[in-house]
Parts: sequence; structure tokens; C-alpha cells
Amino acid sequence: MRKLGWHQWVLLLLFLGALLFTGLFGVRTVRRAIYWRNHRDEQIRPWMSVRYVSRSYRVPPQVLYEAIGQAPVPHDRRPLREIAREQNRPVEELISKLQRAIEQARSSPPPPPAQPLPPPVSGGRSP
Amino acid sequence: MSLSDYLLSTLGVYGLPMLFTILLFSSIGVPIPASLLLLASGSFVEQGEMSLLPVLGLSALGAILGDQAGYVLGRWGGRRITKRLGRFVGGEQQLLRAEKWLQRWQGAGIFFSRWLLTPLGPVINITCGMTGYSWPRFLVYDILGEALWVVLYVLLGLFFSDRVQAMSEFLGDLIWLIMGLLFVTVLGWNLLQYFRSSSKEAEGKASAHLVDETS
Repeated sequence: MRKLGWHQWVLLLLFLGALLFTGLFGVRTVRRAIYWRNHRDEQIRPWMSVRYVSRSYRVPPQVLYEAIGQAPVPHDRRPLREIAREQNRPVEELISKLQRAIEQARSSPPPPPAQPLPPPVSGGRSP
Repeated sequence: MSLSDYLLSTLGVYGLPMLFTILLFSSIGVPIPASLLLLASGSFVEQGEMSLLPVLGLSALGAILGDQAGYVLGRWGGRRITKRLGRFVGGEQQLLRAEKWLQRWQGAGIFFSRWLLTPLGPVINITCGMTGYSWPRFLVYDILGEALWVVLYVLLGLFFSDRVQAMSEFLGDLIWLIMGLLFVTVLGWNLLQYFRSSSKEAEGKASAHLVDETS
């Protein structure tokens, strides 16, 4: 077999580099997929809204709103960062309050629905 | 607080105009996590806090306009500016590589770099302009690819509306994995070609030697 020229050496090194890179990301992707299958809860981040947290942790939004001293707002898109700013306190404090409320809600049996469903406005389907 | 946290917060506060602006700049090549934003928008749609069609329309429009800006930059900016920009998007070498790749794959390259090999997108826009790739054709592939990207990510965000952050991290790794596989295939193919041609050459020499001996 012919000796490798410098061009082929570079190609070989690049190939090995790409192989290493691919292997690394292969492992990362599989690990994430496995973790993802087993965990639904997402780490609470400042961008999340109260409703998003409630959905991710499967805890009623009323419980979370109560924990941070707010009245539930129907279409609330406000991120936690914004709520913290309104309340003039660090967002980390808000997040830890939410975490404590979630732990509490999970350890105690689910409370009866806090609010009855609002009556249908018009043309509501009968059950 | 990280950049993506900040951008996602602004999405919650300002909604659609923010989504449009961020996708526009991300398509030009500013390194911001646009995919995560699309996923988050899908989640907002599922929660009834944003409407699907405006989200899809404005995101696609922002991304397509950003790509056109990249194309124009490459076309009229000339080599000097693209060299400078090349440094910004990861070195001139990457520009040259994208250029070669583009010449070979053309339409497919534009299409797949919109929704699958997204890290290559901004580089391909610029090289398309630089190499004088037909603009109407660029536009058509761009619209098809970006529409697919936007629909795909918003729908994923919609279906996995409670796991946007994890989904985004998983997809990010998956894309780099696919990019890696692509490079491994291309480089491996090149090496294989070299070894094949060198072994053929050796065979040729051997048989020539044999002919010499018999004559």
C-alpha cells in the first residue's frame, strides 16, 4: 500500500475527530433520551410561567399561585422573572417557594377541586 | 440568568413581535436559541396563550427574511465582508467547506440546512449569495425548508408542552449527532476512495511488472 501523504493524514485525523465527536454526541443523545423517558418534571427556570410549571409538575395552578401570593390569572403568560420583578424580590426566592409548594402538594392527598367549573356561557354541550 | 432564559422571558412578555425578531436575527447568523423559542411557542399555543396560525406565519416569515438578508449579504457584500463574517460563523474554512458542499448538493443543501442541519443554515445563505446561486430557486427551497422547520418545532412544542427545555436539549444533541454522522460519512468516503485508488494503482503496477516478465 502507498504511504500516506500529508493530505491523507489530515483527512484521517479529521475523520477520527469526527468519529470521536459523533460518538460523544451519540452517548449524550441516548443519555438524554433515557433521562427524558423517566423524568417529566423540568427544573424551574425564570422564563417559565406559573401555568407552565403547573403543567410540567402536574400540580393545580391555584396551588402555585397561592404559594407566591397571587390570584390565579386565566391566560397568564408572564414569566416568573416578570412576576418576581413586580413583587420586587429575586426570582430564586419565587422558584424555591414554588418548589416547596410542589413538594407539599405531592406529599399530601390531592385536595378537592378548589373552584367549581364555570357555567357554560352559551351553546354548551350537554353531557 | 442565561441568554435563553432571558429570550424566553421576553417571548412571554412581548409575544409574537419578539418571536419574529428573534427568528430573523437567528437566521442571519446571530447565535441565539431559536429552536427552543419555537418549542416554547408551541407550548404556549397548547396552553391557549398564543394562536397557532400567527405563530407559524410570523416565525416562518422572520426566518425566511433573515435567510434572504444572509443571501443578499453574500451577493453584494463580496468576499471581504464574507471573510469577516466567516470568522464570526466559525472561520473561513467553514465557508469554503459550505461552498463546496453547496456546489455539490445545491437545492438539497439549502433545504436540509433549514430544518435538519440547522447550524449550517447561515453559512449556506451567505455562500449561496457569494457563488451567485439562482435567487428564485434559493427562495423556493428556503420557503419549503423553513416552513417544515417551523411546523415541526412548533408541533413538537405543542405535543410535549410540559417538557420544552428537555426536548430542546435532546434535539440540540441529536442535530449535532446527525452532523457528526454526515462528516464521518463524507470523510470516510474520501479516505475509502483514496485507499481504493492506491490499491488499484498497486495492482496495475504488479500486472505491468508481470507483463514485462513474460514478454
